[in-house]
Amino acid sequence: MTRRPDLATLAAVRILPVRHHSPRVSQVVRAELDRIDPDVVLVEGPSDAGDLLSVLVDDDTRPPVAILGYRTDGPSQSVVWPFASYSPEYVALRWAHEHGVRAELIDLDIGTALAIAEEDHDAEDPDTGTDTDTDTDTGSEADTGSEADTGSEAEAEAEAEADTDTDTDTDTDTDTDTGSEAEADPAAAASADDDFDSLDDAIASSAHMASFDEVWDAWLESPSHAAADLNRALLAYAGLLAARGRRSHRTRHRDAVMARHILATVAAGTPPSRIVVIVGAAHAAAFLAGDVDLDLADDLPAPLPCARTLIPYSFPRLSEQLGYGAGNRAPRYYQRAHDAGCDFERASLETLIELGETLRLRGFAVSLADTIEAWRLAVTLAGMRGKPAPGLDEARQAAIATMGRGEAGPIDAALAPAAVGRAIGRVASRLGQGPLQAEFWREVRARRLPERDDPEDLTLSMVDDVQVDTSVFLHRLRLADVPYATFRGAGRDRGAARGRGDDDAGGLDALSRVREGWTAQWTPATDVALVEKVVLGDGLEEVASRLLLDRLAAARGTGEAADVLLEAVVAGCPAVVARALAACDAAAAHDDDLPSLARACAALSALTSYGTSRAHTGGDAAIATLCVTTFERAVLRLPGAAAVDDAGAAAVKTALRALHEVALAQPRVAGHGRDAWLAAARDTADAFDVHPEIAGLAAGLLYLAQALDDAAVATAVSLRLSPAIDPAAGAAYLAGFLEVNALVVVKSRPVVAALDAYLATLDGETFPDVLPVLRRAFAALGATERRYLLENVIAVRGLGAQAGAAAAVVAATDRAAVEALAGDLAGALDDLDDLL
Amino acid sequence: MAEIRPPAEVRYADELAAVAGADTAARPPGWKLSPRAVETYVMGSEAPVGGVAITPKYVGDRGLVQVAIATLASDRALMLIGEPGTAKSWLAEHLAAAISGTSALVVQGTAGTSEEHVKYSWNYAMLLADGPSERALVPSPVLRAMREGQCVRFEEVTRTTSEIQDSLISLLSEKQIAIPELGVQVAAQRGFNLIATANTRDRGVNEMSSALKRRFNFVTVPVVADLEQELAIVTRREAELRGDYQVGMAPPAELARVLVTMFQELRAGVTKDGKTKVKAPTSTLSTAEAISVLFQSGILAHGFGTGAVGAGELARTLVGALAKDGPDDLVVLREYAETVARTRPGTWKQLHAAVRDATGGKKRKTDEP
Repeated sequence: MTRRPDLATLAAVRILPVRHHSPRVSQVVRAELDRIDPDVVLVEGPSDAGDLLSVLVDDDTRPPVAILGYRTDGPSQSVVWPFASYSPEYVALRWAHEHGVRAELIDLDIGTALAIAEEDHDAEDPDTGTDTDTDTDTGSEADTGSEADTGSEAEAEAEAEADTDTDTDTDTDTDTDTGSEAEADPAAAASADDDFDSLDDAIASSAHMASFDEVWDAWLESPSHAAADLNRALLAYAGLLAARGRRSHRTRHRDAVMARHILATVAAGTPPSRIVVIVGAAHAAAFLAGDVDLDLADDLPAPLPCARTLIPYSFPRLSEQLGYGAGNRAPRYYQRAHDAGCDFERASLETLIELGETLRLRGFAVSLADTIEAWRLAVTLAGMRGKPAPGLDEARQAAIATMGRGEAGPIDAALAPAAVGRAIGRVASRLGQGPLQAEFWREVRARRLPERDDPEDLTLSMVDDVQVDTSVFLHRLRLADVPYATFRGAGRDRGAARGRGDDDAGGLDALSRVREGWTAQWTPATDVALVEKVVLGDGLEEVASRLLLDRLAAARGTGEAADVLLEAVVAGCPAVVARALAACDAAAAHDDDLPSLARACAALSALTSYGTSRAHTGGDAAIATLCVTTFERAVLRLPGAAAVDDAGAAAVKTALRALHEVALAQPRVAGHGRDAWLAAARDTADAFDVHPEIAGLAAGLLYLAQALDDAAVATAVSLRLSPAIDPAAGAAYLAGFLEVNALVVVKSRPVVAALDAYLATLDGETFPDVLPVLRRAFAALGATERRYLLENVIAVRGLGAQAGAAAAVVAATDRAAVEALAGDLAGALDDLDDLL
Repeated sequence: MAEIRPPAEVRYADELAAVAGADTAARPPGWKLSPRAVETYVMGSEAPVGGVAITPKYVGDRGLVQVAIATLASDRALMLIGEPGTAKSWLAEHLAAAISGTSALVVQGTAGTSEEHVKYSWNYAMLLADGPSERALVPSPVLRAMREGQCVRFEEVTRTTSEIQDSLISLLSEKQIAIPELGVQVAAQRGFNLIATANTRDRGVNEMSSALKRRFNFVTVPVVADLEQELAIVTRREAELRGDYQVGMAPPAELARVLVTMFQELRAGVTKDGKTKVKAPTSTLSTAEAISVLFQSGILAHGFGTGAVGAGELARTLVGALAKDGPDDLVVLREYAETVARTRPGTWKQLHAAVRDATGGKKRKTDEP
């Protein structure tokens, strides 16, 4: 090794090992900085994010916030470096800012970190499928990064070191996965997750504690330490972990990168004793031991094109980096301790008091005496466990025994807000927010939409113009794939919405809705998506339009183009509306697909009726014209389209119904269009080369529209059901016929007579064949329809007299029963009299 | 003659003495041991204390035992709740033995428990002869515990009537019992506290009032879910029982494992590998039940069998244990044998055959003649 002298210099620099997100380490770091009063502070963090530091330490920036690095060359991929106000790195940067000292970030640049993440992602074995699932769940586009997190051990380790954990993925599985690896952070060596788990578990169980988090709190966070002691402890833990496995080569790469940066600072003239370096304990141990191979810094993948910004982060996301070490299990708890000058006893007491209040608000009988008793019990427990003060575990167990009456469930539920918290950070406004972020936050605040990392329901009324605009905003976010609001249904409450799962967020339903229910929750993933989507446009409307135009370009047929048109109207994208209209028009001319045309026709008709006010286009006249032409084209395609097999029949039937509705309801096509439709339908109903179900449906529709009278229908039905026709085809016709509006059909005596005649002609051999179809047709009838049907059958068969006789028998039996009952009743009343 | 079951403080006298000898920490007033030492006695110690191995009396969550001990040092009473057979009474007995040096002060809660069982009654011959006097007074365990500053146990609180539960409220908050006949108030000495147990299956029988609940800290004793842990409990306790009664014979380790696995699978309603669903019986398959089944299998083999405990004895005892709640549970057992035991090797296969003989097989035989 030729660089030995350099490495000696490295050890001469003032190195402060840290554990990320630790209030106690932060306190010591601040004290050490005050004592050393350095000229330069070097902090572990992405070296190319230096321009963000002034915003990070701005008084208007309130942690938790995160540095977000994202790719600008296409794929959605990002990494985050979160900071809480009690993170040692943040404290050091703040100190430097307050004292006018130069501060620099010295870790891998973002582009290289992204390149490594991608490399590991490509190399990783396929069994990390859970990540992909969960990312789909949260709808986060930022998945690539998080997948990479859990990937190979090396990457996970690197992630842990740099805080580049699970970029905003809101799923706990992922976090648990990374957690075990991340926990190993100061040690960096990762032969297997189990190694760390087993070491940490061994430490916990030998200390008779439930978890390593508890050990950490009890030994390192809660007691006050001299700086030297704490540093020694951190380095010892790092050494312990390093001894158990090799340090991964990624960590060594980062050692090299950081070491070079430090040495460059020394070479530039700052004496080593005037430089303070704030790095994870594992790196610190490597620097102090001179175990660094500087050449490794050249052996890194080429950086990917990327950009960076600061985004707000939240306590719930911070806490999901489970097992990562101090600060993550319960961010709000550590924040309290930090705010109280590392007084963990006070933090525990505050948590317990708030827990009692929360339980009381939730309807539990928790008295002040219970809270006092819980605190006393927690103090006694801490004494038994040799802890200086009650920690979170004592507070929880004491609360279960006192407030919870032995039940952990309600306590754990109420403890989450008190210990984890819901706070979200704020980034100083002078950092040019991404245009999408700016728009998002402006709209959210102006419309008083939920801003918290906690699901909240809201209902929008579609008769209020302001709320319609809010709906447009939410639909744009939905189309832009920004995870924020989820459509809940048209109902007022969740319960009602669950019943009808068929309600689509957009499309035809959205036009006619009078109310929209949404569930909104801000998560850091929202901001990540907003930052990433900037490549698609500078405004939400532009992003949604771009994505819709992509869909339009890929659309096959008029129907799909019309779907895009509807979405464009719902999300208020006038540019797309015009293009989609043109596409519909163009496609309709060549489209031979009846279902597609009919779907487009229904969409256009709805737009004609409800208007396109959401999109502010004023193109309604064009839509109406297009609606008429599409309708005419569809009607022309009807005869050819109706000759299909069983599989295609359903789509054609849907088309038939849509066209029928448009023909009767849409004033623009009424008159000539209506006549054309009825003629086409009549042809279909009479044709024998079309699918019998379709013919039946056409006949039913015509009968319903009173375009066929009873006699004509009876004739048609008996013709269709005559013995010469295949009974299965007859039954299919019947099914289609009854599908329309069974009540009207069964009320008509001539029709029922025709049906009855047909059924009577079926012989024993053919009956079983057509039975399934008949069953299906008649099973759709409700109780009222069946009664009418039976009444008509009785009338047709002349069974009226017999029915009368039967009714008399029933009535007589009833009377006898009533009389018997009356006898009993009288007896009972007599008994009662006797008693009284 | 020897006692079948000496109380904890007698049986573990050497362990208690050793723990007390090594105990230098401060003891709460009236306590025989410091809280840490009580914990060591209950949870056991890896290294011998004062040359004596301390066996674990309770296997499970240490935090739970710590909360229980810490509660007894406070002015609230301790309520141990849980499913039947989760060693609540066992834990209570050892806590009382370690803290007060005696586990003998105990009130058994039943529907017939009267206020006299909780407070005091009289030796009526003396009462009639001499009138009310200290000599004629028959103190209840609670009264004795108050006078001596000791822990008293109250088993199955929820089975007592609400009158008795109400009388506990004033007793626990005033910490004294008035004896108007003698014109005295007996005030509790330091060290007095009460350990109650309640069965979650009895919930709703005599639901405790919230006033009474407020006098207690609650500790839920969970059903043991870990196979190795429950196996350790069952084998140790079965061996102890065998020592106490001087009957039965040691079952092979494999048999105990089969039994505990089976109980856990029936309790969970699914096999350990999570692949097969099994029907859960209505009977409570507690750890205590497993201990009893294993012990009785040993007796059966000793008295009537081949001299070795095997699947046959186990199956016959199981039938007896499961028939308590009606024939449905026997069907459950049979089904388990057919669907789960049959597919597994060794002892499992033998168990399958034995259960078939003990349930369906037997029936067929009796039907034939």
